[in-house]
Amino acid sequence: MPLSWAILATFLLAAAGYIVGRSRAFASAGPDARQLHSRPTYHGASVALTALLPPLAVLAAGSMLRLAGVLTVGAMPVIGILALVAAIAGLGIGVTRIGQGYQARNAVERMVLGLLMLCSLIAIVTTLGIILSLVFETGRFFQLYDWKTFFFGTEWTPRFQGNSQLGIVPLLWGTLYVSAIALLVAVPIGLFAAVYMSEYASRRVRGVVKPAIEVLAGIPTIVYGLFALITVGPLLRDYFAQPLGLGNSGTSVLTAGLVMGIMLIPFVSSLSDDIINAVPQSLRDGALGLGSTPSETVRQVVLPAALPGIVGAVLLAASRAIGETMIVVLGAGAAAQMSLNPLEAMTTITVKIVSQLTGDSDFNSPETLVAFALGLTLFVITLALNVVALIIVRKYREQYE
Amino acid sequence: MTDNPDRKPASLLRQDARTRARNAAERRFRWYGIGAIAISMIALVVLLATILTDGAGAFRQTYLNIPVTLDAAVLDPKGNRDPAEMAKVLTLTYGKVLDKAVGDAVAREAIQVEGLTEKDIKGLVSREASAQVRNRVLAEPELVGQTVAFDVLTGGRIDGYFKGRVTMESAERDSNTSPRQLQLAQALADRGMIVTRFNWNFLRLADASDQRPEAAGVGAAIVGSFYMMLVVLVLAVPIGIAASIYLEEFAPKNRCTDIIEVNISNLAAVPSIVFGILGLAAFINFAGLPQSAPIVGGLVLTLMTLPRIIIPTRAALKAVPPSIRDAALGVGASKMQSVFHHVLPLATPGILTGMILGLAQALGETAPLLLIGMVAFIRDIPSGLPSGLFDPASALPVQVYNWTQRSDPAFIERASGAIIVLLVFLLCMNVLAIWLRRKFERRW
Amino acid sequence: MYDTNRRVENAVTPDDIKIQARKVQVYYGDKHALKDVDVDILDKTVTAFIGPSGCGKSTFLRCINRMNDTIPIARVEGRILLDNEDIYDRRVDPVQLRAKVGMVFQKPNPFPKSIYDNVAYGPRIHGLARNRAELDGIVEGALRGAALWNEVKDRLGEPGTGLSGGQQQRLCIARAVATSPEVLLMDEPCSALDPIATAQVEELIEELRSRFSVVIVTHSMQQAARVSQKTAFFHLGNLVEYGDTDDIFTRPKDSRTEAYISGRIG
Repeated sequence: MPLSWAILATFLLAAAGYIVGRSRAFASAGPDARQLHSRPTYHGASVALTALLPPLAVLAAGSMLRLAGVLTVGAMPVIGILALVAAIAGLGIGVTRIGQGYQARNAVERMVLGLLMLCSLIAIVTTLGIILSLVFETGRFFQLYDWKTFFFGTEWTPRFQGNSQLGIVPLLWGTLYVSAIALLVAVPIGLFAAVYMSEYASRRVRGVVKPAIEVLAGIPTIVYGLFALITVGPLLRDYFAQPLGLGNSGTSVLTAGLVMGIMLIPFVSSLSDDIINAVPQSLRDGALGLGSTPSETVRQVVLPAALPGIVGAVLLAASRAIGETMIVVLGAGAAAQMSLNPLEAMTTITVKIVSQLTGDSDFNSPETLVAFALGLTLFVITLALNVVALIIVRKYREQYE
Repeated sequence: MTDNPDRKPASLLRQDARTRARNAAERRFRWYGIGAIAISMIALVVLLATILTDGAGAFRQTYLNIPVTLDAAVLDPKGNRDPAEMAKVLTLTYGKVLDKAVGDAVAREAIQVEGLTEKDIKGLVSREASAQVRNRVLAEPELVGQTVAFDVLTGGRIDGYFKGRVTMESAERDSNTSPRQLQLAQALADRGMIVTRFNWNFLRLADASDQRPEAAGVGAAIVGSFYMMLVVLVLAVPIGIAASIYLEEFAPKNRCTDIIEVNISNLAAVPSIVFGILGLAAFINFAGLPQSAPIVGGLVLTLMTLPRIIIPTRAALKAVPPSIRDAALGVGASKMQSVFHHVLPLATPGILTGMILGLAQALGETAPLLLIGMVAFIRDIPSGLPSGLFDPASALPVQVYNWTQRSDPAFIERASGAIIVLLVFLLCMNVLAIWLRRKFERRW
Repeated sequence: MYDTNRRVENAVTPDDIKIQARKVQVYYGDKHALKDVDVDILDKTVTAFIGPSGCGKSTFLRCINRMNDTIPIARVEGRILLDNEDIYDRRVDPVQLRAKVGMVFQKPNPFPKSIYDNVAYGPRIHGLARNRAELDGIVEGALRGAALWNEVKDRLGEPGTGLSGGQQQRLCIARAVATSPEVLLMDEPCSALDPIATAQVEELIEELRSRFSVVIVTHSMQQAARVSQKTAFFHLGNLVEYGDTDDIFTRPKDSRTEAYISGRIG
């Protein structure tokens, strides 16, 4: 591991630079440290940073080139040596700059600002990474598989020996069906809960119920998935599906939808709570002053006023439901089919991404690469929903600010 | 002029029909709200109750206490007690020794069960038991030649019988056990030879194969999760705070910052599985990092957690009133000094709370980890840091998923048990966050 | 300072007592916000409540249509009779009460609905119109009554929030008038308006007096003098003095009233 040695040596040099810089600053100041433009610690820090940053840049560049395949493993010691040279050079330059007039604090602050800026760019890099990896692999998929069949095909039957049918329509159907059920559960319950909490509940009730609903939000989705698998699924099968003759599958659209609905309740209610509270009290007073009952005030004044915000919240919830994975993996089933019967097992885009990418996957076969096309579709759908929702919510907030 | 002639000045003390109807509607509406809250509360209680009742069994384990004669001729053929030599003796051999010990014990107790077969007797103990005996003997070679009392793991069905999961009726239909075997087990328990104890091994051991749920534990998964949280802590927290400081305090208000901001809020809402795809494509396929490694899981979770740390951190920075900044600038501090010396310390409680909640979310995340190969069957606990970061590992939520995919219902108990462990960790983190918020809450 | 013609015009017409308040106390939590208020408010009269901020004048106003019920920590004691019926009687439904006692607030608060729907809101919830034509009539009458009809008759479908501040406040008055209340409470209705809009609203108040009793809270003594026939002066939660507006402003009996109108406290 020549690189880790290089990194260690760089940090040691930087530490040494700090001490040297500080003492040289004291020395150049003479008897009165106030002669310096910047405090001695800044001089030390400036030397340390000039010794640290160039070699780290060299190492980062080297690693990137190595990953991109331009350099081989054999070149890595060279990179290490280059980094050390950069460190020593930086140290030298840093030390020679020290003097009474040197504006060390400004130099340090410029470098720190650069680092801060770099960190804020990571979000952009992540997004680019997501888009690049999805688009690149999806492109490879469409070289192997006809895009029209993917987007309009109604059959999903991947086969390892090839000649698979990879139509997204049944997956999209399952995804939308589960999400619709989830929203049918979560939106009324979440909204009514939020209305009750903000308009009716006493402070004591709020103090108990609000944290309890937040607990629901903090539970990982795998827990909901297990709940769907071992409790809700068998319950629906034994008490609804079988007696009604609607199937005998433990996993079903309804199972996943109900459980996902429960998961989304806190999401919808906390967003709605914020939005309802943003409606000015003066509107409520106006309605109450005219002699409307609290429920009339809510239904005819508060909710219409909050409507755009609530629509935004529902869209965000929909985007969550569409992208949710563990509940559908454990609760909805794996059978790609288009049926109206909610007690039958169906499958979703996320389930198929998991099943195509786990286990032994061959990254040159359409059966594996289709997962990236599914991922891109998912990304685009949820992104669109989020963007629209964020715009609506932002407009809404501005209206009452 | 707008007065309605039909409307008499009615007495306030009598409700007219319309007001009564409106008040009834009011009450109905109120009940809808109470109903919605009741449904949420019931869902929460049922959810937690089922997980707790299903998972409680994972923390208890039944053992069979029998004397085992460790025959020197079989276990140490050379007779020199050299561990290297003894290691050549296969687990299979220990299995035979154990089978004999169980058979002897049953014979000695003279338990009469009609139609009891040898398979029933052998099946009392777990397939993992022989390996455990072997490990103990290899660790203490001096035991060879003696007759030692062992607490050996019982089989999954026997364990299930004492936890109420397996009944005589279900045993009738089960090829892995029989009512006779359960009767035998009951007789041994009556004689005090089968005992149920707290199952420390559940927290210590790694996963076991799908034939031996009784030996499966979450130890490796806890270590894996811990390593990933460490990566997230080291990467996401400083980067997230640095990015927040830049965006909140230094960034000029222009298109570029706008794009970054919109980008961050969208990134927070991207489905987690998409981050899994990114991790697979970027870290495994492109960068060539090993599959199933905590470092990859940690990196993926870092990218996912970053926006979820940046958003509350910025809110905490924004909550510090501008007067503090002005005061610092007014005595001649630079902008950077005012931020690092004054604003940041004041925002620390809010930042810590956001950080802990972000970590808690990352700890419970499953979907992206499935894609980077963490579903693989992991038999060993990862080694120490830093090389352990590159060892194959599991994570708590992934271990839960893994166990739900197995046919033996005993794994459901293990999965629920693992969730209890996960929830305990999450509870601790949330309590810490709430405590911090309460303790340092400041109103300007 | 005061226009003499106006004063003649404002001469009080002896009329029935509309509202009788006796020993009214209001507590906000532990704070005793209003102490022993006794007052008789006349029908078809404008009564002004004046006093420095925090003196309890708005609090008392909100007692008259039980708007204080919406504040969880507020507690009201004593009796307020409207047409000899105690509005704090257990059998009284505040919803019915507020239909009789309308209210206009400090800040214009039109609902985010069309102008028409704003005005029609009260008649709709109280079921005052049997059909659309009748409702149209009520809306037009209310808007005319609020001197807004000519400005908005061509854009009744546009949102009420799009009007100017003064128009919005007159819309809110129209909204309150549309339920044909018997008493109209106004809580500093002009404090958010410019002088021209204020003059329009004051003119309106003078007209409204012909139909019902108007109670107005104001921080402006000039306004009280211009629009009211009766004035009550509140100070530190007490009703200090109540009488004809002219008497209060020219011959105050209490030294505190005298201090306030001459600008020494407040």
